[in-house]
Amino acid sequence: MTSHDILIWSRRMLVMTRKEFLQLLRDGVLLIFIAYAFTADIYLAASGVSLQLNQAATRVLDQDRSGASRELLGRFQAPYFRIDGALASSREGQQLLDEGRAMLTLDIPPQFEHDLQRGQPTAIQMQIDATNSVLGFLASSYAAQIVGGFGLEAGLHQAGLSGGRLTDLPVIENRSRVWYNPNQNDAWFMGITELLTVITVFAVLLPAAAMVREKERGTVEQLLVSPLSPFQIMFPKVISMTVVILLGSGLSLFAVLMPAFDLPARGSLVAFFGLTALYVFTTAGLGLFAATLARNLAQVGMLTILILAPMLFLSGAWTPPEAMPVWLRDMMYVSPLHYYIDIAFGLLLKGQSLRALLPTIGGMLLLGAVVFGFGLYRFRRQFG
Amino acid sequence: MNRQRIWAVAYKEWREIVRDRLFFTLAFVVPALLMLLFGYGLSLDVEDIPLAIVDYDHSVESRDYAYRFIDSRYFAFQGYVNNEQALGAMLASSHIRAAIIIPPQFGQRLQAGQASTVQTLVDGTFPFRAMTAKGYVTALNAAANQDTLARLLAQAKGVSLTQARQMIQPVKLEVRYLYNQSVKSIWSLAPKLLMVILMISPPFLTALGVVREKESGSIFNIYSATVSRGEFLAGKLAPYVVISSLNILILWLLAVGLFDAPFKGSWLFFMLASLIYVICTTGIGLLVSVAVRTQVAAMIVTAIVTVIPAVLYSGVLIPIPSLGPTAQLIAHLLPAMYYTNIVVGCFLKGVGFSALWPDMLVLAGYATTLFSIGYLMFHKRPNT
Repeated sequence: MTSHDILIWSRRMLVMTRKEFLQLLRDGVLLIFIAYAFTADIYLAASGVSLQLNQAATRVLDQDRSGASRELLGRFQAPYFRIDGALASSREGQQLLDEGRAMLTLDIPPQFEHDLQRGQPTAIQMQIDATNSVLGFLASSYAAQIVGGFGLEAGLHQAGLSGGRLTDLPVIENRSRVWYNPNQNDAWFMGITELLTVITVFAVLLPAAAMVREKERGTVEQLLVSPLSPFQIMFPKVISMTVVILLGSGLSLFAVLMPAFDLPARGSLVAFFGLTALYVFTTAGLGLFAATLARNLAQVGMLTILILAPMLFLSGAWTPPEAMPVWLRDMMYVSPLHYYIDIAFGLLLKGQSLRALLPTIGGMLLLGAVVFGFGLYRFRRQFG
Repeated sequence: MNRQRIWAVAYKEWREIVRDRLFFTLAFVVPALLMLLFGYGLSLDVEDIPLAIVDYDHSVESRDYAYRFIDSRYFAFQGYVNNEQALGAMLASSHIRAAIIIPPQFGQRLQAGQASTVQTLVDGTFPFRAMTAKGYVTALNAAANQDTLARLLAQAKGVSLTQARQMIQPVKLEVRYLYNQSVKSIWSLAPKLLMVILMISPPFLTALGVVREKESGSIFNIYSATVSRGEFLAGKLAPYVVISSLNILILWLLAVGLFDAPFKGSWLFFMLASLIYVICTTGIGLLVSVAVRTQVAAMIVTAIVTVIPAVLYSGVLIPIPSLGPTAQLIAHLLPAMYYTNIVVGCFLKGVGFSALWPDMLVLAGYATTLFSIGYLMFHKRPNT
């Protein structure tokens, strides 16, 4: 290859890339939605969505109305619980639960204090709306801690053991420290997850759509009779989308997540953007592959849902991979997002070094090469 | 509205769908496949959390304490580690998600009747997983302390161990999980998956219906035909509603037959409500199709307004009352939340029309509004 060839090659690439940009810029609605997705959408998710037990609507049927029952109920507090008031009967509680207006009810029996003072065992009923099993579980585990602690104090006091003071007894105090996100700030998790979601949606959908559009309109035939190679047709599409996505990610990091939510961004941001570009290339390969299977945009739409939905929800941000069946966990090794989640959280929250991320990056690179190469191969065979 | 003209438009659309074999197949395969993947994979149960332990004490007591975690089904023990530095690296690389550090003299202090402190490190990258892990640690730790104290009490008071145990645990918390007695996540998940999938798939089916004709120019046939705006839109929507209704049946069968989700409500009411919901979600796609000019934009807009809200603002993962104010507003603006109430009510709670009619009414209103906006936005004369 002479320098002249290289010049022509790069000039062709430049022209084609410019064409892709123009096409994108002329679609006003599309641009508005891209801007919305990278800013307002991420802001909303980060500010308003929390996956923790938060202000669980609690109703109380206190049949004892004693000092002890008040003391116990006083321990059900924000942020986990919110006592919404008393119940007149257990039937009313059942009705509120049915209508979804209460998440849990507590029922303290008559003679509660009396039994406690006489050292007789007693029990508190708790009904939980477990239609959301995770929150149902969290609610019962916090309630168990509260009731257990209360019972222990009462019991030790009753038994006259060291005046009920725990520190004088051979107990184990377990102090938990939460790393990387000490206050368990949901905004960081939700913000980053939402950013990854938006990046992924665009990275699969945009190149696939751009490719199929040419097919559908027959313009790809024109491109193919031009002196352009399949690579020169495909790659500029990916380049233009990557630039748009990188700009969008920059916008959401510097204009939304860092100023509004104090996202620490502990690692190297240069590395983050570099690896995001790599991720977009990898994922674009999946989109291009879908584009070679489809003949029109309607088909591409359905195919991309088939790729996107499992990728987004099973790659490990929402569901803990530990809880997934093994065959599915193995399948997720071919999801580029599986690697990118580790990279993004590693760089933005954990402050990991590139060296520590090397195996993950290697995995994504390898996958990217295979996926992109396969997409190109399919394209060549279809049109070469 | 002329029924014959609606029929003509619907028939033409139907022929187009059926002739596109891949699209037609995907219209049924995508929802069913998503149901299978999510049903098996989307478990939010936090179990088998990878854990490592540093034991600086090497005493009988420390080993006993460690074994409480090693034996627990909530943790997957990854081995003893020599020091905290090694733990840091393992946490950073997500090799483990939690760690326990037992200090020197742990056993000595306990034997001398003194309190001792143990430290737990938790990876906070995913806050809700971190909270759950902390909950498990607290529960196991409390159990350890109760055993110790019961033994102590038994010796001091000369009572039996069972009696001593009862003394320090005078209050029992009796938990009843309503609607989902075994807190199986798939029970509560499968009905909601119906909601998610019927929010994602139908809009993609319809999203290109009108805009495709705009791009190809065949819309001019419509502009010049006698068919009215309302007739055209109704005819366009009808085939997709038929396809999506079949999908309701398929998804319902999978939820009940394959995932054993209990269905306690009225089948007829459920199907009627589902039909209205599907008219809403296909209507969203149709509205997008009317509003935008290019197919690419239609797909992106559909993805942004359906995929993300279907998960975040619908109550599938996060109950609506736990959302922030803006997020709650969004939730109320989308049909998904109302349908979530209906699926949960019909499947798990066994409540029917009397409790759920407000939700159904909102959905009906939603469908009407969508159709009206579409009607107002669609002009038989393009703005040039």
